[in-house]
This record gives sequence, C-alpha cells and structure tokens, in this order.
Amino acid sequence: MQININNKSFSAQEGETVLDVAKRNGIYIPTLCYHVKTGQAAKCRACVVAVEGMRGYQTACNLSVREGMNINTEGKEVKEAQRMVVDLMLSSGYHNCLACDRSGSCELQDACYHLGIEKTTFSDHPTGRKDESSEFIVIDYDKCIKCGRCVAACNHSVVNEVLGFGFRGLETTIMCDDDIPMGDSTCVQCGECVQLCPTGALTDKKSRGKGRFLEFEKVDTTCPYCGVGCQLTLHVDRAKNKVVRVTGREVWPNNGMLCVKGRYGFEFHDSPKRLQYPMIKKNGKHERATWDEALDLIAEKIKTTVAKHGPDVFSALGSGRITNENNYAVQKFTRAVIKTNNVDHCARTCHAPTVAGLAHAFGSGAATNSIDEILETDLIFVIGSNMTEAHPVASYYVKRAAQNGSKLIVCDPRRVDIAHWSDLYVPLRVGTDVPFLNGLMNEILKNGWQDEEFMKNNTENPEDIKKWIQDYPVEKASEISGVPVEQMKQVAKMLGEAKKVSVIYCLGITEHTTGTDNVKTIANLQMILGHLGKRGCGVNPLRGQNNVQGACDMGALPNVFHNYQSCMDEKAILKIEKDWGVTGLSRTEGYKLPTMLHKATQGETKILFCVGDNTVQTEPNTAKTIKEVESLEFLVVVDIFPNMTTEYADVILPDVCFNEDDGTYSNLDRRVQFLRKAVDHPGEAKPTWWIMQELGKRLGVDLKFTSANATWEDMRRSGTIMGGITYERIQHLGLQWPCPTVQHPGTPILHMNGKFTRGKGLFSHTNYRTQAELPDKDYPFILSTGRRLWHYHTGTQTRNSVGLENIFPEELLEISPVDAKKMKVKTGDMVKATSRRGTITLKAWVTDRSPEGVTWCAFHFREAHANVLTIDAYDDVTETPEYKACAIKIEKVREGVEVVNRGFRQARP
Amino acid sequence: MSKGEKCSCGDDEKGLLERLEEIIVSFKNKPGALIPVLQATQSLFGYVPQEAILKISEMLNEPLHKVHGVITFYSFFSLKPRGKYLIRVCLGTACYVQGANEILTALKQQLSIEIGETTTDKLFTLDVGRCFGACGLAPIIMVNDDVHQFVKPSGVKKILGAYKKHKAVNQEEET
Repeated sequence: MQININNKSFSAQEGETVLDVAKRNGIYIPTLCYHVKTGQAAKCRACVVAVEGMRGYQTACNLSVREGMNINTEGKEVKEAQRMVVDLMLSSGYHNCLACDRSGSCELQDACYHLGIEKTTFSDHPTGRKDESSEFIVIDYDKCIKCGRCVAACNHSVVNEVLGFGFRGLETTIMCDDDIPMGDSTCVQCGECVQLCPTGALTDKKSRGKGRFLEFEKVDTTCPYCGVGCQLTLHVDRAKNKVVRVTGREVWPNNGMLCVKGRYGFEFHDSPKRLQYPMIKKNGKHERATWDEALDLIAEKIKTTVAKHGPDVFSALGSGRITNENNYAVQKFTRAVIKTNNVDHCARTCHAPTVAGLAHAFGSGAATNSIDEILETDLIFVIGSNMTEAHPVASYYVKRAAQNGSKLIVCDPRRVDIAHWSDLYVPLRVGTDVPFLNGLMNEILKNGWQDEEFMKNNTENPEDIKKWIQDYPVEKASEISGVPVEQMKQVAKMLGEAKKVSVIYCLGITEHTTGTDNVKTIANLQMILGHLGKRGCGVNPLRGQNNVQGACDMGALPNVFHNYQSCMDEKAILKIEKDWGVTGLSRTEGYKLPTMLHKATQGETKILFCVGDNTVQTEPNTAKTIKEVESLEFLVVVDIFPNMTTEYADVILPDVCFNEDDGTYSNLDRRVQFLRKAVDHPGEAKPTWWIMQELGKRLGVDLKFTSANATWEDMRRSGTIMGGITYERIQHLGLQWPCPTVQHPGTPILHMNGKFTRGKGLFSHTNYRTQAELPDKDYPFILSTGRRLWHYHTGTQTRNSVGLENIFPEELLEISPVDAKKMKVKTGDMVKATSRRGTITLKAWVTDRSPEGVTWCAFHFREAHANVLTIDAYDDVTETPEYKACAIKIEKVREGVEVVNRGFRQARP
Repeated sequence: MSKGEKCSCGDDEKGLLERLEEIIVSFKNKPGALIPVLQATQSLFGYVPQEAILKISEMLNEPLHKVHGVITFYSFFSLKPRGKYLIRVCLGTACYVQGANEILTALKQQLSIEIGETTTDKLFTLDVGRCFGACGLAPIIMVNDDVHQFVKPSGVKKILGAYKKHKAVNQEEET
C-alpha cells in the first residue's frame, strides 16, 4: 500500500506502523518508550504525529498504516506537541549530558537535538538519587524517564523479573524486587536493561568514564563463554588496546541478550597474568624461552620419542574453548605428522555421550533444532540442565516461552532456578533418568499417545521397543526414581498430548556412568512421540563450551576426522591422505582422554600435547590426575593463563584469546559463527594453528596453515557437512551445518520430516544401572557437581575479569535444610567435604535447591574444587566421567557468619 | 509491630505468618490471587510486613517487584504498621473548598504526627484521600469505616476523644 508522510508517498505493508515506515525512509520521529523487543507501549507520547481525518495527535509507534493515509510529522503544531512532551520529560529529574556515558548514543538527547531543545523551559527536579550497589550496573534515577523499557526487558525479554514499577503518580519509580538496592536484589546482572535503556539512567559501571559510545571502534564477534554462541559487539579503545564495553548484537541466536559473563566478563584478555612468552621448565622452574628454543625442544622430543616407541606414545588434546581452526590444526598435526589417532578434547568430560548416543539413534550427534524454535513449542521438557546458570541466554527463551503459555516441565534432582518458571517440577533421584524415562514411555504407549505413523515409517524397530518397554511399568519406574506414580502419569500425559515437544538436556544426563544410555533413552522418547524433524521439536542438548560442538566437528576426537569422517573407513582415509598429501595415516581408533592419562602411568603415553585444557582441575579425582600427569615424560601446554595444569608442563606456550585472531566457533545449534580480531595479543602469544604449522615444519610436514582462513579452507577442502561454509558467508550471520556446498542455505533442523541421517531412527534397549559409588554409612551424602552463573569452568577467564569474583568469591557446598539441621550447619559455616579420594574445605550454603541427602558444588575455584572429590568412574561407551554422583561425608569445621538466603530466584545466597 | 510483639488479635507475628500461609494456599492457582491475598495480609497484620511480601512472592510464584508494586500503588495497603484507627481526611475538591486543609492541620496538631505517621500509642494513623464520593457532606473525614460529615476544625478534638474513650471502654471490658 502507499501512505503519505509530509506529502511524500511511501510504500508500506499491512501490519506496519507509521513509525516503521518513517524509520525505514529516514524520517525522524522522536521515540523513547518503543523498542522492537519490548513492543509498543505508546506511553511516552514523544512520537505524536498528525493524521488527516483523525482527531488530536496519534502516537506513531502503535499506529497501523492504512492505504492512502496522510501523515504530518513536521508541521509547526506537531513539532510543538512533540517538543512539549520531551520538554516535560527533561523537567523530570535532571538530564545533564556533560558527563554522561550515553552522550552520543542517547535517544532522549537525539530527541532534544532534532527538536532543538537546549534545556527544559520548566525547572529541573534533581533528586541526586543513584543506586551504585550493583557490581556492574548503575541506576541514575535523575535520568530515568519512566519509559518502562528496562521493566519490559527484565520481565519479558530475559524474564529475570527483578525490575518493576513501584509507587504511583509523580512518585512512580523503577525498583528492584521490593524496592531494595539493585546489588542486594535477585538481579543477575545480565545488563539487558542497560542495553535497552534509551537514556543514561542505566549504564555499565565498569565502562563509566572510559569513553562514550562514539569514541570506540566496534567489532562484531562471538562470545567466548558457553555454547549458546551469543553475538556481541566489542567496543574497542584502539589506542589502549582494550575492550571497554560489550553490547549484544540484535541478531540470532541471542537477539541482543547476554548474560553477566558475556557482557561484563571481558577484561581477562588484557590481564597482566596472561601467558606472554614460551616457557621451558629447567630445574623445576619455568623460564622464559624464545619460540625457536621451545619449538625446537618439542620437535626434538617428539622425534626421538616417537622414533623409539612408535606414534601412539603421543597424545594431543584440542579444546572446546579454542576455535575450529585451532582444533583442526591440532587434529591434522596429530594425524598427518605423528600418524596417530590419539587426539581428543574436553567433550569427553561433558557431551561425548550426546555425540555417541544421538549418532547411534539418529546418525548425527548434535542438537536437532535451533534455539529460537523454543518460542514455538508447546511443551518444553528440561531434564538435567541448570540452564539459568550454565546457559543463561538459552534459559531466557525457555522462560519467555513459559510466560507466553508453553508448558514447561523441569526434571532435576536439584530444584534448579528454572523450576520456578515451570508448570511441573519433577525431582527425580540422582542417576535414575533411564528408568524414569522408560516409565514415561511405558505409560505413553499404554495410553496410545505415541505417534504410530512416525514409529512405523521412520524408525527401524518400533515393535521391538514396544515389547521391551513393558519391562518398565510406571510403578517400577516410580519406585526407582522416587517420582510419585501420579506425577509420572501426569508428565506422560502432558508429553503425550502436546503437539510439539522439545526436549532440552545437559550434563545431568551425560555425566553419568550411564551417560550414553541416558541420551539413547531421550532419543527413544522423542521417536515414540514423533517429535523430530519438525519445527519447535527435537532433542536439544545444550553444548557446554563456546566451541565444544566445533571441536567435535573438527575431528578433535580419536575416532573421526573433521566433519565426522571415520578414521577406520578406508575410503575416507584415502580421500584425506590424498588431500593432505600424506600417507600412512593410522587405521586404528585413538585413545580417549581418560585412557591417554591412564596409559601415562603405564608408560604407554609419554608425550601429551595439551591445548586449552586445564586437565588437572577438570578431570575427576584430582589426586589420580596429578599422578598421571606427573608420569608423563613430556607435557606441553598451550594456554592463555597459568593454571593447575601448566604447573606440570615441561613447555608452556602462550596462546591468543578470542579477540586476538580471526576464527570460527560452532555453537550448540550447529551454527558456525565468526569471531574477529579486535585487539593485539599480549607479548609473544601465537595462535595454535601457527604453533602446529611451525612444529609440522620442524617434523618435515607443511600443514599449510598460513592464517586462520587458510586453515579453515584446508579443512573445507576435504570437509563434508561444513564444506559450504566460508568466511565470506558468515561475516554477518552464522550458518548451521549440514551446509555441504557454498550455495546451501544451512540446516536449522536436522532429520527433516523424519528422514534421519542414518536412514531410519533406531530404538535402543536401555536398562537401569546404579551410579558407580552409592552413599553408605561412612560417606552418606551424594555429591553432584556443575557450574555457577558467575564463573566459567576453572575460572581462568571469570576470575581474571573484574567484578565477578566480588559477587561470588568462593565455592559453596549446597546442603539441604534437612541435612543442615541434623548437622547443625548454617549458611556461612566452614565444612569439610571428604570422599574416598580427597578432601576440600569450603563454606556451606543451606538451600532447598538440594534435596535431602544430596550436596552440590562446582569446580571453578582451584582452592576448593569439586574434582578433588569426584570419582574416576566412566561411561562404558564414551569414557565420560560420572561427575554428577559420588559419595562424600561432611564435617563442620567452624562457625561462620550467618548469611540469610533472601528471595528464592537467585543463583547465590 | 516488631518481631515477637503481640498484635491486637493476640497472635504473635509468627503465628500470623502461618495463618497467612493457609490463606495463600487457599488462593493458590487462582488467577488474580495477588490482590485478595494482600487484602487478607493487610487485615491480618494491619500492614504488609516484609516477611509477608517474601512469602506471598514465593508461594504465589509472583516476582517480588510485582507484589511490592501492587502494595505501593494502592493506598489501601501499607508497608508500615498502622494505628488501630486510620483517619483519612478527604482533600478532594469539594472538601478542600469547605476547609479540609484546616481540618488536616487540626488533626496534625492534636495528634502531633504528620501524614502517613502513627501516634506513639499506636492508636491513630493519619492519612489523606482524594474524594470519597460524598461531596454533599463535605468536608468529611473517615475513621476506619465511619464517615464523619460537615467536620469543623474545632470538632476534631471531640471525634478523637470518642475513639480514645472507646478504646478505654474496650480495655475495661477486656480486663
């Protein structure tokens, strides 16, 4: 249709607003309360325009276009009306731009500029009220225009539900929780309110005074924390070589939203603690060396050791933290230069059962659907995922879907925070996922809720599973899992009757000795329900690290090359040998990470080349890991910070971090996303691909890694599912694999229409097995482990970024109120947690997140980390350790200052 | 009312919180439960204590800001303990032109408190309102549910005296 704005004709579409059309055509209408994410509020009235045939003035932000509409945005009277509104706004509080961080990126300032307002014609009403209690966010109430964007952002965008309006009339104000300081509130400091605030009322504390928005170079890149792969913009002070501020990009997968780590945990890149020079251990001490000395030493050591003992004494670790290019470089070096398949990475400790289990059932070991589809599903079934802490941005979508009417079921032994938004919280016993899910399937089949058509047409063995599942009546499942029969039936009914079910799971499923079985059982459930290969459904594991999906995709695994081409398949091997220009690639599967380490004590692993993996702190049973690492003949660690593992290294090589080189990460929904060099690296740090290239050269092989892009292109040439993804194509937005050709648009949904990668889906028999170490008289508590919102893995990044440690400075052992009462322990008391493998001393947090008999802590703090206690028992298929269950005892060491848990939706006491 | 202190109905605050829990349970899963629950809380405690806000938020699974936002929006709810008698002076147009402001001044003097405050004997709380819908009787004041019409500043003392006496009588009856 055509509409006229200021006597000029513009084309418009049904459903658009006048503001949309004006904006698109560069016609400025002042607007403050409207934001595309928070929707039309029409409350600030700044966007008033005159429309022919309509009485009074209309707000452009919520005025739908009509054919032939005549709109005036520039008339003297219209401008006067807009000016009055903005003038009144200026008179509320105190709007002084001189020392405001938002100057130049403030929508109120824009409005004043365009309307020619120098200052309010009324008087200011400064109150001086500021809230600086939060670690990362400052509220300047004098600059608040009560537009409500922050409130809408907090409640409907990220659904953290902290900010609201309080009081009435002139006294109306934004407030946190029940009008308490932001720093004391349940605010998780994701900064979405700051991002959406149109004025300087909400600003980032750590960038205050460091420069205004327009002064910096903006570099779009990908977040270096969890697997969601949020797109962000780094605001870079070029002269100081520093990132000053981070904002979210309004594109998928995060749509501008970030979490506290992504938005505020960025300074680690220029921490003085960064590794800057190669170091060689001499007489037990690490001494600075040149690159040539370090690389020559490594090459020499590899040459002599491999010549004497064969290639399999060499093992390498890639990482879910480093780029695709660097993982590819590590695996190509290991395979093409050393001629062994002993390459693995930390997916072994988290989602290896996902890769194995889903590949077994569907033929492809990755999330089937995309994050954004969460908003379209009818029922979200979350099992074994503390997503508000470990994958905050994914949780925003789940919470929003729940708010919009999707049903949400949360199954977890712990009452994780996401449960507060659920329709049904199902507390099952630790490690009983298999019988619990089998019971549900039994009930679903008994009531005929299954998708018979899907089972018949798209799966291999439907009759077999129907018969076999009869062994798991809901009563038996209930007895094992501790979930009441009635509740199980309710869950089964909800699952059975929903039109679209999306199953989201995480490490609560995989980090068990039955990890692969757990994953297979989830696959069984979704195949029975037929919720695969369509929008808003699927099996969606939340991959943990920024690039753990990519490390798998790149073949940092002992059984596959890049793009999951089998190392035992002669055809694939010959193709890759030809492409790489080498011969004699190993035909036998390599060692998995735990085996590599285990073999060290038997002298069968002599050299470990470890990139971006803090093995000592992340593997279970630290005492054992240390013994293994000590028995290595030669340990090389490539990393960005000194950590527990570098201490044992013979050579330490400094790596560049996420904003110091180009590259790509693959996120949890298989989206390959670009990251850009934004700052210069410290000292002599080098990218891993360069290190591998140099080592290859010294060992007589040119790996052809001349840049990140050249490395990627080298991968792409012999790649399959990622063969069509080029740097050019992903400059602005990522692409989801499979994407085999450069014309291919990418694949948001796998197994479309039930056509599985492997042909037909395969049901598996999965039986209940108990955890490896059950609690007993001596060690009466179950310890489960995981991640906290405020920290990331071994804390090298988050503990080297200002502020996060102030919020959460030390590890806490979560104990249920019932157990705490028995032991006379209160929050803040020091306790000693002891397993058969070690002891740590830490503070107690008495919280009903933990059920009776279950305790919980994380491994972020080397001073007291969970892996001293965890058990080295492994999933029999993938060797993934059982981090989620071991037995401990607890003794109170001394009284502490009592800390009161306030509120109930928060990730800290 | 501080923690542990007896309130007018003889329960201590902990007992009241338990009764509040029962009330919340009876409203659970009903849409629009927040306002009736807050009304019950206000009646139960005479105000909405912070412990009650936390309890309501948790049990109704409503964000804290929403509970607090509703409390501070409606003048019916109070975050501070109120006296036994809530005096509300109408400052609507009709009452105002009939001298409501003088009545307010007289009340402030008599009670030695400002708007929103409570007398030290916890007997009276002074508040104002904007039109109670009885302009024909202006100026009016309300003491709890009683309406006093055509009030004069000089008559304030008598009205207050009646309530003070009422309390004294009640206490005699109780003892």
